[in-house]
Formats: sequence, structure tokens, C-alpha cells
Amino acid sequence: MRAISERATLLTLLALLGLTALSFALSYVHLGALNIPVAIAIAAVKATLVVTVFMELAVEKFTVKVSLIMGFVFAALLIGLMVADVVTRADAPLLPPPPS
Amino acid sequence: MSDAKATHLEHFQDLEQQAHAARLGIWIFLASELLLFAGLFALYGAYRAHYPAAFGWGVDHNVRALGTLNTAILICSSYSVAKSVHMLRRGRPRFAAGLVAFTLACGCAFLVIKGVEYATHFREGVFPGGHGSFFLGQPQGLKVFYTLYFLMTGLHGIHVVVGMGLLVWLLSRILRGQLAVPHTHPLDIGAVYWHLIDVVWIFLWPIFYLTPGTF
Repeated sequence: MRAISERATLLTLLALLGLTALSFALSYVHLGALNIPVAIAIAAVKATLVVTVFMELAVEKFTVKVSLIMGFVFAALLIGLMVADVVTRADAPLLPPPPS
Repeated sequence: MSDAKATHLEHFQDLEQQAHAARLGIWIFLASELLLFAGLFALYGAYRAHYPAAFGWGVDHNVRALGTLNTAILICSSYSVAKSVHMLRRGRPRFAAGLVAFTLACGCAFLVIKGVEYATHFREGVFPGGHGSFFLGQPQGLKVFYTLYFLMTGLHGIHVVVGMGLLVWLLSRILRGQLAVPHTHPLDIGAVYWHLIDVVWIFLWPIFYLTPGTF
């Protein structure tokens, strides 16, 4: 198996800490509706860095890449469809239970 | 297997194939872990869409600095365990062992900070399931927010403890000379599991600490 270089690993650490600082700073900026998408997008970039470099997915065999990519695709479908359901219904489907 | 120079198990053609099978196994396990957490993230997304104001308020109530500190700690621990994999492959087991020990220390620091946060919540009367004096007269959404908070960070915390147990076992094998070139892939497996813990926290941090207000 080919290997990720130690230099790439170090640069990834610096990038991750930089993105963490950026995300922390942006949390104090009022972005309105973009607040959550921006924070999740930065998290997705960080997760991709960890998976490809630290977890060495970039140099793994195709079978390993497929198992993970399918996992992410199904997770995105699950979360996306569930949120879309709640947002688009005229009557919200999540009614609170009656008080006990 | 007690001999570091031992070759592959007999049902594999060579050590490379054995290492690949082990890595494929942990990745498939991680994909199933992903679906476990994805269910909870989906629940969070749906409830946040339903109770935007209460969730925004709940996020604001959490201590952003502590969550951020824990993020930095986990990222550094991920780097140190990745570096230890490199060192073990380069034939420097003592250096690798030191880095695994540092990773364990980071795991302890993470749990201590999380414990401090939980203790603060309990003092304020915030308990899972919407129990506690904090929720008197508060909207239903806040109860849901804190229930999901305890469930997701608690499940993640259990993963941290399991990951630390795995690393302690690997550390003892390195120190006993059982993991050395070319038989280094068990540390890869432990490291990949630890990175998963980091990836999950990377997403928990913004949804529980960084995104106050509504959308």
C-alpha cells in the first residue's frame, strides 16, 4: 500500500486547527439563515481532511472507498429527506406528547 | 501472535492481504457506525426544523469555549495517533508508544472537560428527558434539545472510552514488542477508530455549540 507523507499529515493538522478557529470566529458573526449551512460546510471540509489524510482513505483500495462513500450517501439521504419532510409539511409532523 | 516478525495467518496469501482484510473490516464497521450516528443527526435536523427558536437558545446556553477547547484537543489527538502509525512503520516503536500515550492523555482531558460540562448542567437542573428544575415553564423544544444533547454527546463519550481502551491494549502490545515492522496494521485499525471519534465530534461541535439563533 502506498502511504500518506508525514508532511501531508502535519499540514492537515494545521489546516484543521485553522478551520476550527475560522468556524469559532464565524459563530460570533450574524449570518442569519447561512449560520448553520456555513458551520456544517466547514465541518464537512474538516471531516473530509481527517478521512482522506489521517485515515489514509486517499491511498486505500477501491473496495474500502466504496464502503465509506455509500455510507455517506445513505446518511445524507436519511438526514436530507427527514428535514425536508418537517420543513415542507403544512402541519408539522412532530407534535409534542400530551403533558403528563 | 507473540512474534513481531511472524508472517501472515495461514488463510491469507501474504501479510499485505491480511492487512487489507483487516482495514476493509474496520471500514465496514465504521460505515455501520456512521448510520447509527446518522439516525441521531437526522433526528436533530428534524427537531431543529420544528423548534428553531428553542434549539437556538439551547445552543447559546452551552459554553462555546469548552466545546471549542474539546474540538482542538480531539484534533491534536487525531494527529498524534496518525503520527504514531507513521513512526511504527518507520521502525521507531518507542516514539510511536509515546504518541499513543499522548493520544490517551488527550482522551482523558476531553472526558474531564465533558464531565465538567455535565456537572454544570446537573447543578443548573438540566437532566436528560426534560427532567429537572431548569425546564419549569420552558418550551417543549428545549427539553428535546437537551435530551438529544445528552444522548449524542453521551454516545460519543462512550466511543471515546472504548477508543481509549483499544489504544491502551495497542500501547501494551507496542511496549511488549508485539507490534513492529512488518506487523504494524493493528495500530492502523485502532487509529482509524480513533479518527472516527474525531469526525463525529467535528459535526457535534457546530450543532451543539456554534449555531445559536434561528434559521
